[in-house]
Amino acid sequence: MPKVEHLTYGDRKVFTVSSFNRGIGLYLGRLPAVWIEGEVTELRRNAAWANVFLTLRDPNTGATLNVTIARRVYDRLELALEEGETVHVAGRAELYEQKGELGLRATTIERIGLGAHLLALEELKRKLATEGLFAPERKRLLPRLPRAVGILTGADAAARGDLVATVGARFPATTVVVCETRVQGKGAATAIVSALHALSEHPAVDVIVLARGGGSFEDLLPFSDEAVVRAVASARVPVVSAVGHEQDTPLCDLAADARAATPTAAAALVVPDLRELEAALASTHHRLGGAVRSLLERDRNGLERHGERLRAAPRLLLERRRAALDRTGARLQALSPLATLERGYAIVRSGAVTLRDTSSVRAGDSLEIQLAKGGLGAVVEEVRR
Amino acid sequence: MTEPPTFEELQRELEEIVVRLERGDVPVDEAIGLFRRGEELYKACVARLESTELRIEELEAPPDSVR
Repeated sequence: MPKVEHLTYGDRKVFTVSSFNRGIGLYLGRLPAVWIEGEVTELRRNAAWANVFLTLRDPNTGATLNVTIARRVYDRLELALEEGETVHVAGRAELYEQKGELGLRATTIERIGLGAHLLALEELKRKLATEGLFAPERKRLLPRLPRAVGILTGADAAARGDLVATVGARFPATTVVVCETRVQGKGAATAIVSALHALSEHPAVDVIVLARGGGSFEDLLPFSDEAVVRAVASARVPVVSAVGHEQDTPLCDLAADARAATPTAAAALVVPDLRELEAALASTHHRLGGAVRSLLERDRNGLERHGERLRAAPRLLLERRRAALDRTGARLQALSPLATLERGYAIVRSGAVTLRDTSSVRAGDSLEIQLAKGGLGAVVEEVRR
Repeated sequence: MTEPPTFEELQRELEEIVVRLERGDVPVDEAIGLFRRGEELYKACVARLESTELRIEELEAPPDSVR
């Protein structure tokens, strides 16, 4: 290790540039090895070079760091890294003495596994759930007849096309407001949040659909971004999430007011079927007519019944009178002595006197005997007292 | 209320009128009034469904705030 030497001018110590750089390099070399996370921005690799060079970038601040790794080591990792990927790099600080540039001498590079993402996602999910962002009671009902449907979509023609076509087929009496934005990669989350706000501010938009076809786990990550999830939960109008495929559950799905497996299903959620609606209306209208008609009919029937009774009344009265009369007649009949004679009794008269005992009768008197039919002239032979 | 009634409100009122009439305990004079109102509501509902072509509006994506 060459020594760090200095020149002396009187009592002034002066270092050469090389020796200064070497000194700093030695100093830095004593720092511990660390892991650093960043995005790969420039990757320079050449079969003739002993090292592979890349630049790590901090996605939040744009700060950069030069990284050097032995080509042999790099090739053994078989990473097939691409620019824009986020990696973990292990290494020590190093000074490139010739230029006085700080760098990192890497010993290994790891692509951030899904594990790390999943962990962060789980963490965020727990946090937002604790805040109540996913609570069922937060979910709003979708409007039945939106004046306009806001659609947030990427340049993904299929998702957009399906949505617009299905909305148009089901319910053409509405408007579709499409906001195309970046939905994956760098800056997507910010873009989605602004697009959500823009749609939310639109005066006619009554519901918003997030439409994004399937994609890799990383592609869908912006839809799990905290800012996006919060924007979905706090949107002015209900939001339907149609992001990814059935098996994907980006966090925006949990915060949305409804979730649809496909853009077509989302369309069916946000607008009714015009034909069904018209049929239902027609049926209600039919019932309206029927109900009022039967009411009026019942009323007329009531009137008719009244009329009939009115017309029948005198006859009824007469009949009743006759019946009463008949009953009186019957009673009269019953009291008539003729009825008694019918039962086998007889009336015995002596002259004009009807006999009840024998006191006025003597043997040899003539008596009149009246029977039910006909009579007899009789002579008394013996009187028994 | 200053806002015009929504389709749902119109439809609900129509449904309520039909149910009342179907229950049949409404005096005839009132029934006729209800019927007229029902007809109005029905026409208003149908007018809301008058379908022209689906309108498509493009909303300019707000400028990306590139960080």
